[in-house]
Amino acid sequence: MRRRRYGPAVLLLLTGAAVLRVTLFSDLYLRYVQAGLRPYLIVSGVALVLLGVTTAVLRREAYEGEGGGHDEEGHGEPDDHHGHSHGAAGPRVAWLLTLPALALLLFPPPALGSYSAGREAAQRAAQGVGSFPALPAGDPVELSVAQFSSRAIYDSGRSLKGRTVRMTGFVTHGDDGTWYVTRLLVSCCAADATTSKAEVRGDDAPPTDTWVTVTGTWHPKGKLGSDAAWPPVLDATSVRQVKQPADPYEKR
Amino acid sequence: MAVSLREDVGGTRQRHYWDRRVQNQRTVVDGVRLVVRALVYAVLGGASLIAIATVVSVLGPTLALDLYTPPVAAWWTVFTAIAVQGVPFLLLGTVVSAAIGAFVPERVFTKLLPRNPALAVPVAGAAGVVLPGCECASVPVAGSLMRRGVAPAAALAFLLSAPAINPVVLVATSIAFPGQPRMVLARLVASLATAVVMGWLWARFGKDEWLRMPASRGGDGGPDASGPRAFLAGLQHDFLHAGGFLVLGAAAAATFNIAVPRSVLDLFTGTALAAVPLLAVLAVVLCVCSEADAFVAASLSAFPLTARLAFMVVGPMVDLKLIALQAGTFGRAFAVRFSSATWVVAVTSSVLVGWWLL
Repeated sequence: MRRRRYGPAVLLLLTGAAVLRVTLFSDLYLRYVQAGLRPYLIVSGVALVLLGVTTAVLRREAYEGEGGGHDEEGHGEPDDHHGHSHGAAGPRVAWLLTLPALALLLFPPPALGSYSAGREAAQRAAQGVGSFPALPAGDPVELSVAQFSSRAIYDSGRSLKGRTVRMTGFVTHGDDGTWYVTRLLVSCCAADATTSKAEVRGDDAPPTDTWVTVTGTWHPKGKLGSDAAWPPVLDATSVRQVKQPADPYEKR
Repeated sequence: MAVSLREDVGGTRQRHYWDRRVQNQRTVVDGVRLVVRALVYAVLGGASLIAIATVVSVLGPTLALDLYTPPVAAWWTVFTAIAVQGVPFLLLGTVVSAAIGAFVPERVFTKLLPRNPALAVPVAGAAGVVLPGCECASVPVAGSLMRRGVAPAAALAFLLSAPAINPVVLVATSIAFPGQPRMVLARLVASLATAVVMGWLWARFGKDEWLRMPASRGGDGGPDASGPRAFLAGLQHDFLHAGGFLVLGAAAAATFNIAVPRSVLDLFTGTALAAVPLLAVLAVVLCVCSEADAFVAASLSAFPLTARLAFMVVGPMVDLKLIALQAGTFGRAFAVRFSSATWVVAVTSSVLVGWWLL
């Protein structure tokens, strides 16, 4: 009886704790959503925990107010009246919330990797050939895979020419021994991930899903804006294994 | 006589003696039986426990690893991602809906909205601009509007328009389609038109028995309760209820996300006739949040603009997690009819608006 009574409070606390565990106490949320959502998630997590505590306190008062609360029926919980399949225990479907909550608390699912990148044809950002703003100074210049890719394919000013660039991503393999440095782009959550990749030449392929930082120069190929220009190619001078970055995805 | 009496007495005595012996024996036997049973249980149970523990500890990790293949891992990631990103919006929606239920008296809405449903529908549809959330937020709000006496047709128009035409979504659309302000306008017009047409259709053809009207549940003080306690009770109930259905929808969306490779789309990019319904179906199964769907639409660059418009108009109004949320709030009979009708109206209006504006 008691257990049933406290169900909603437990669920709220569990959900709130799961949200806080991946946002406030670690950077794990970056595996699932983009960075801008963090403040809202923290506020939601705190609100859920507070709501859970309040619910538990109110239930306890109601429980003691009834002198032990030995009966479930006859107690004025209005939920009982309207043909919904739940009473004081709260909606039964809400127990589904334990699935993602426990997953986040106990075994946070990994960031998407080569499996997701390989499943969908990597997409080119929708844009026409045109001029790009000048690349920042620095040698090598740090670029995201998506930036490199769109400059390589669409930049009429050929700003990549003669520059040494550095990109970080995970390794995916193509047919006949080619390999790519690949990164997923997430604009809201991992469900909308899209892929960008660049072929790496001049170094042996590390195993799939290894995170690498590659440094090298752009190898022009194909006509600007055409299918032949894609995927862009990098002549690598160095390939270094790195740890998976805190934010495994690139922002748009 | 005496002999027989003595015999009788002796017999009785003997019987007592036997009874006692039998009793003693019984306790002994019971004890032995208990010990034996305990031993058997301990041995059998312990042996099987050890066996299970051994098997689990030896096979468990490999079995778990075998089951935890890349697709399964990706499924879990997408599933938790949809649930996590839905939480803030769902909470916002339930806070607004619980506040409406607990603090806003009924007469406010009867004063604000025109009496005539035909007029109330466009007003409510345009009012969708004010709720800056995605589709998870709008379902509980529409439910509490109905509880507060707003005509279902008007509340449904609000339900459809709010996630599609609020400023956050429109700004995201303009960022995703740089230099194409017509896309933003087309999205606004097509979404609003769909919401209003659906409201009118409901006012004309809708049957109240399809709609399991969200009953008032005002917390501890009875159906008409208001104030902080009713707010908390409503908030707690609405969040848990809608949260459960959000998880259900997230599971369905993750399954489709993993099961349907996006490369299938390449087969259909050529023909505009197939592209529009294809992207409209894709919007239903992918369940991309309405604040992000413009970026996904922009990346589907091989498709004609009208098809991408359909993707953005259908997405916030009909998708798997939304159908699950609606089924939970308004009943399954409603969700199936309403969602399929909305899909048809949304596709039609995107085609018309796309032909006119794009």
